Amino acid sequence: MRRLIGDILLPRATAVALWAWVAFNLALIAWVGIQSLKESGEVWLNPFALPETPRWDNFSSAWQAAEFSAAAMNSVVLTLFGSVLIVAVSAPAAYVLARSSRRVAGPAVNYFAIGLSIPIQTILVPIVVIKLSVYTFMEDWVTGWWDNRITLLVFQVALSVPFAVFVLTGYMRSLPHEIEEAAEIDGAGPLRAFVQVIMPVARPGLTTVFVLNVMGLWNETLLALLIAPLPEERNLPAALLGLYSSMQYSSDWGGMFAGIVILVYPMIVLYIWLGRRIVDGMTAGISR
Amino acid sequence: MKTYERAFWPFLLPALLVYTLLFVAPSLFGIWVSFTRWSGPGSEMAWRGLDNYVALLHNEVFATAFTNTFVMAIVGGALIFGFTFLSMVVLRQLKGRAFIRAVVFLPMVISIIAIGAAVGFLLNPEGAVNTVLEWSGLDPQPWLGPEMVFRCIVGGLVWSSTGFYVALMMSAADAIPAHVYEDAQLIGATKWEQFRHITLPLTWDVFAVSAVLWVVGSLKIFDIVLAFTTAGTAAAPPIPARTIAVQQFIVVKGAGLPDLGSAAAMGVMTLLVTAVLIVLTRRITRRDRVELS
Repeated sequence: MRRLIGDILLPRATAVALWAWVAFNLALIAWVGIQSLKESGEVWLNPFALPETPRWDNFSSAWQAAEFSAAAMNSVVLTLFGSVLIVAVSAPAAYVLARSSRRVAGPAVNYFAIGLSIPIQTILVPIVVIKLSVYTFMEDWVTGWWDNRITLLVFQVALSVPFAVFVLTGYMRSLPHEIEEAAEIDGAGPLRAFVQVIMPVARPGLTTVFVLNVMGLWNETLLALLIAPLPEERNLPAALLGLYSSMQYSSDWGGMFAGIVILVYPMIVLYIWLGRRIVDGMTAGISR
Repeated sequence: MKTYERAFWPFLLPALLVYTLLFVAPSLFGIWVSFTRWSGPGSEMAWRGLDNYVALLHNEVFATAFTNTFVMAIVGGALIFGFTFLSMVVLRQLKGRAFIRAVVFLPMVISIIAIGAAVGFLLNPEGAVNTVLEWSGLDPQPWLGPEMVFRCIVGGLVWSSTGFYVALMMSAADAIPAHVYEDAQLIGATKWEQFRHITLPLTWDVFAVSAVLWVVGSLKIFDIVLAFTTAGTAAAPPIPARTIAVQQFIVVKGAGLPDLGSAAAMGVMTLLVTAVLIVLTRRITRRDRVELS
């Protein structure tokens, strides 16, 4: 009896469930792609059939009608700039925190770690207040204009720094100590030594953190809706949500699935390309 | 003097300043606002003491949002770790295990808004799921209606989050040497017993971290509620489906003058609940470390 359950029934049932889960994930992603190539009527009437003729113009209409082109542009710029800034700010800090024997280094790491458990709700109201004040202040006194997308970028970076510093500090600790010696002999200044000697050695870790942030920022929704909700300034998730919420009136289902594909497929390609490293980075940084 | 000692402050300061000025300081400001009545820059700020908190405790909508968030954390967590443990029983030897681990992780990289739009299409009153139900003689269900949407959200949450914890726990299980399992097989332990007496005790530390991560993450749930309740209309999510984050978002962004003091108080309460839950989770998962000799 014990054998029957513990060795046969339970493992077999679990294995079947796991494969069903895998099949569901793959089917869902393929199905979204197929739906995006159908005419809106077909999307509704034959949701599981192949398109009669592939309608590539769903993409061009989603691109234009729902301002997806602007949203895609916003997403690309915010994601790339944000991720570069996060790594540029966090990597040097993580490096000195990992290496230094100063007494403040330990408490400083803990100080960053606190940021990991502060829920975003605590800072939601301050963000709105800062967004409004910065906009008025810049427009009235400094530049005469302001763009909420800059505020969004800045907060995306600030909220991602604790995780990046925390993970990179752990990673930098695992690097061999000999690497600095090359830099010492070279007689280079700290910044040059860091860029030319440390960063190349630390590249796998930096890439992982960069890619994790790319995925995080690309899918960012709450901050985007809060700081930059207008049609011309919103990112892809916000634009898709806007398109989805107007479906009752527009019924452009083909266009909506095209929007889903524009939002989802780039990340899947990135995941297929760097999958193992992404999973390792997410899990290693946390279980340390 | 070593490069890293010379460059200590110049290298550390940018991150320290960004984090302190744009994250820590605003959080403290949020705590301050929670003790006031305020509707934003330009309006007068009046001290209210603990009144915002007292009002929230008597507010039924907030109570629902609070309970919902709690239920998601507990029920969602039980389901996620239940599935994770079951997967761990078989994933060590199953054929195609690397592929399975890669694919179940996939929802982690996909925008939950996109998932909501796609699944919402299937769960529509006249959507494909109901068509299939009708066709097989069952009653169609209002999946995304106010009564059922909460359960659908929890389901979606479990589906999209479990892969991450499977990856996390399995990366710890990978480090257990194979000979331990071989010995266990020799004395006739079943797969379940091997999990129960070898895998789980040896990965317990990572489970403790995972549980804390889940608790912290679950209190911030926001996107998935919007994704499942938007369903073709721009109306605010129905009350039975709201979480604290959603309720706070509605108060901040809603029509009229926002009650920022109340919204900030919600944030502070979430912070307190997070802290309490972290301590509780740590206490529950605390155990003597098991190590292979």
